[in-house]
Amino acid sequence: MSRSALVAIGKPPLVLAVSGVAILMILPFYWMVMTAFVPAPDIIAFPPKWIPSRLTLAHFAEAFAKAPWLAYYWNSFVVAVVSVGCSLLFGLFAGYAFAVYRFPLQNFFFLMILATLMVPVQVTSVALYILLARIGWVDTYLGILAPNFASAFGVFMIRQGIKAIPLDLIEAARMDGAGEARIVLTIIAPLIKTTLATVAMILFLGSWNDFLWPVIVINSQDLRTIPVGIALFKDPYGSMNYGPLMAATVISTGPMLLAYIVSQKFMIRGIALTGLKG
Amino acid sequence: MRASKVLAITLAILFLSPAIALAGAAKTTITLWYPAGDITAGAAHFADKTLFADFEAKNNVKVEAVALDYDTMIQKIFAAAAGKNIADILFIDTSWLPGFLKEEMLEPVADAKAKAWLAAVSPEIKELSDYGKGRMWGYPQYGIDVYGLTWNKDHFKEAGLDPEKPPKTWAEFREYAKKLTKRDAQGNITRVGYAIRHVGHPHGVVHKHFWAIYGAGAQLIDDPNALRGGKSMINTPGGKAALQLVLDMLDVDKSTSLNFPDPRAAFLKGIASMQISETVSIKARQPKEAPDLKWGMALPPVPKAGDKSVTLLGAWLYSVPKQAKNKAMAWKAIEWINSAEKDYELCKKYDASPRYKVNWDKEPFKSDAYDQGLKQLYPYGKKLPINLGLNGIMDAMGGAIQKVWHHEASVDAALADAERLANKAIADAAK
Amino acid sequence: MGSHANASGRHVLARFRARRILHAYLFIAPVIVLFGIFRVVPAIQTLLYSFYKVELLRGRFTFIGLDNFRTLLTDEIFQKAAVNTLVYVASIVPISAALGLILAVLFNTRFRFKEFFKAVYFAPMVTSTVAAAVVWWWMYNPQFGIFNVLLKLVGLPEQPWLMSSHMALPSIIIFSIWKTLGYNMIIYLAGLQAIPQQFYEAATIDGAGAIKRFWRISVPLLAPTTTFILIYNGILAFQVFDQVFVLTGGGPANSTNVVVLDLYRQAFERYNFGYAAAEAMVLFVFILGVTLLQYVYSKRFEVAY
Repeated sequence: MSRSALVAIGKPPLVLAVSGVAILMILPFYWMVMTAFVPAPDIIAFPPKWIPSRLTLAHFAEAFAKAPWLAYYWNSFVVAVVSVGCSLLFGLFAGYAFAVYRFPLQNFFFLMILATLMVPVQVTSVALYILLARIGWVDTYLGILAPNFASAFGVFMIRQGIKAIPLDLIEAARMDGAGEARIVLTIIAPLIKTTLATVAMILFLGSWNDFLWPVIVINSQDLRTIPVGIALFKDPYGSMNYGPLMAATVISTGPMLLAYIVSQKFMIRGIALTGLKG
Repeated sequence: MRASKVLAITLAILFLSPAIALAGAAKTTITLWYPAGDITAGAAHFADKTLFADFEAKNNVKVEAVALDYDTMIQKIFAAAAGKNIADILFIDTSWLPGFLKEEMLEPVADAKAKAWLAAVSPEIKELSDYGKGRMWGYPQYGIDVYGLTWNKDHFKEAGLDPEKPPKTWAEFREYAKKLTKRDAQGNITRVGYAIRHVGHPHGVVHKHFWAIYGAGAQLIDDPNALRGGKSMINTPGGKAALQLVLDMLDVDKSTSLNFPDPRAAFLKGIASMQISETVSIKARQPKEAPDLKWGMALPPVPKAGDKSVTLLGAWLYSVPKQAKNKAMAWKAIEWINSAEKDYELCKKYDASPRYKVNWDKEPFKSDAYDQGLKQLYPYGKKLPINLGLNGIMDAMGGAIQKVWHHEASVDAALADAERLANKAIADAAK
Repeated sequence: MGSHANASGRHVLARFRARRILHAYLFIAPVIVLFGIFRVVPAIQTLLYSFYKVELLRGRFTFIGLDNFRTLLTDEIFQKAAVNTLVYVASIVPISAALGLILAVLFNTRFRFKEFFKAVYFAPMVTSTVAAAVVWWWMYNPQFGIFNVLLKLVGLPEQPWLMSSHMALPSIIIFSIWKTLGYNMIIYLAGLQAIPQQFYEAATIDGAGAIKRFWRISVPLLAPTTTFILIYNGILAFQVFDQVFVLTGGGPANSTNVVVLDLYRQAFERYNFGYAAAEAMVLFVFILGVTLLQYVYSKRFEVAY
């Protein structure tokens, strides 16, 4: 397709279209960074100053003075790491069982796991909250983690990955006397490491950006994750302090965007891969 | 097999950890939840970690003040009450009271304490505290919200108006707003004469138009102190006139706009010349956000000369939820921070108006122009009704206001609809 | 598997199988237990609550049959929320998919800085919806926001954006298109690249032009991708919450209220759990409908190429 399409469409209009839309796509990032770094009067100057006259960190100082961003980072990080770690570990074993074994009620359990994909936390949040309150998990890391210790998506992806491995490999390992758990951890896991990395990345992203559930289950400022922190930082009817607000969004989106810039190929390919398999 | 063991241990840890987390609390801690941000100036002092230091030392407790997001605060309070994991002290908006009372969530103030309080505070605080026959659901914080017209004196001068004379009647108000409005070359409004609140939570929309609704003789409900029953009084000539007033300013005078931000923000930014909201928020924010702004404060205008002005009185309350773990200590802390001495000390520090009658006789309040100005507004203040259906009434009225101003319904249709919805809410809540 | 056990006697085989089954259960136990407790039980409870008047603080549950659902039918605010949600889904899903397809076709050629542009288009996808919505909230500001500033620069009338009950929902839809476009583009691109070149070459030999090849080859062969994109985005769109919460809070005058937001308000602000559970069930039925569509269509499109 590539060469013929190239001839048909012609290159300059193509690049023009692609870069034109790209400017629209990138505008919010530019606007966010600009507002965060330019002095307050420049923010509302008209005509706008596309190139700032000078840069300032004052908005960041104000944002940091108003909210403990480092604590929010830490919370988001802990929640994401634990939920991704558990989901991978549990998903690896469950995915292996579903891919390799035959056992009674197999389809029932597998469908049960897949069915949870259809019932988002939006639907179950009320009942889930009350359940957690009974076991004392409200306003704790465990509360935020509860619905995310295991991932149906993870189980499904890992099962698909393992299904692609030839059974002979597993048989050979068994002949060598390896236990099943060891097979999973030392033979299967390395073989599907791309799948695992992809699942890990997607779950990490999901956890890092999750908002609804944390905002329900957290009360203490100490436990807020970044999205909750940023939503709180926006004061809808109050001051028009856009500088610190955008500084806060830079603080909150910065690390993920940096990670993206460094590993964009992996992230894009990974997310595309899941799309094809879903 | 080793890996299975690891798995089993991980699981065990997972399920045991809440027990571990719960262990290890030694010193009693009582928690207080308050709204974060600039929502109420009265919450400013909670950011001071030493606020309760004396109390903590004397009673061997720790008082932990936790800022909650205003948008999700009601939700958190409810959810936490269900989870028996609620704060011991709630700092809540009086307009939330019906919602909480509907679920029987709040402890009433002990009769003797309530009696002493009501006798010691000034009339507007008494109005805000007393929900019929001396019943109290909490102590109103100093720096209560009294709604007033604020105007930008420089804008008045610029428009050829007397900067010391705010509009008194609706006709004058419209006239002034028209003169104060500014446009750019294309005819876009760059400054409104009067800024309106027409987006956001319906409660807020009604609060900011309360003066016109009540000033014109309409009411949200016939008996403001009845918890159950009653009927909506919004679909009346007064209610219609109140909605029409702003609609005319939008369409005929073009002296206000739907494109402007919150009235307070617009006023402080100098893109609105008049606005009507809690004076305390202008007072608190002006030195920081608009140091050069010269502003005046007066009662909202009335339909015609000789009418009695009505304005909204609101407050944030210190209250104790039924599910609190340390109720006795919570009340003790509340009584301590709301004592006459603390009232004086904190009001002086945070430049707010005191609640106790004795403190009004002391300096700096006695001769403070702003505080004395407030005293002129207080007698016209009215608090929101307590009816358990209030949320539904506010939704109905807020929706009607928004529909009319956004040109989605006529005044008559919107108010007829709102009346029906409000009456339904009242009836449902009474069940 | 199990074929290697043929040498042993029946009892050995049975013991072996029993151990395998034990392994299987042990391996799926964590996931099943966690899902059972934190997903399945709350889901069933939600269904039950929808038939009850739930007064949690008093610990009172009153069975009221279908009353919650009857009230839903006459609740104008919920109806508005349901209609808004449907409008949102019906706009964002096809628009974002169509734009994604067009971009994918453009990107399926060779040009300079392609990887860079791809990364730019995809960037919103990795950004948190809340943070991005906060930025857009500021961009939509009627006085100083970039959109009106740009309009003003080119002499077009400024728009009220989120402040207007007519423009608020479209403004949210624009945001969501921006957010999801890159994802759809990448998925379509992967789909395009999976189509064997021979098809195109054969068509070219037959004299088909680029546009004809697009409609005759790309579009039909991308049908499974399209189905996936429509359904995946559809399910997510029904759950829309974060951006509405941040951008408008459902206003003005409920013009951007959506089902999840209304459910959230009913449950956590009004404490009408039973009623909120009924709304959750309606949401669930919507999502179930889309999922069933997926089931039907994925069967139909399971043609290998």
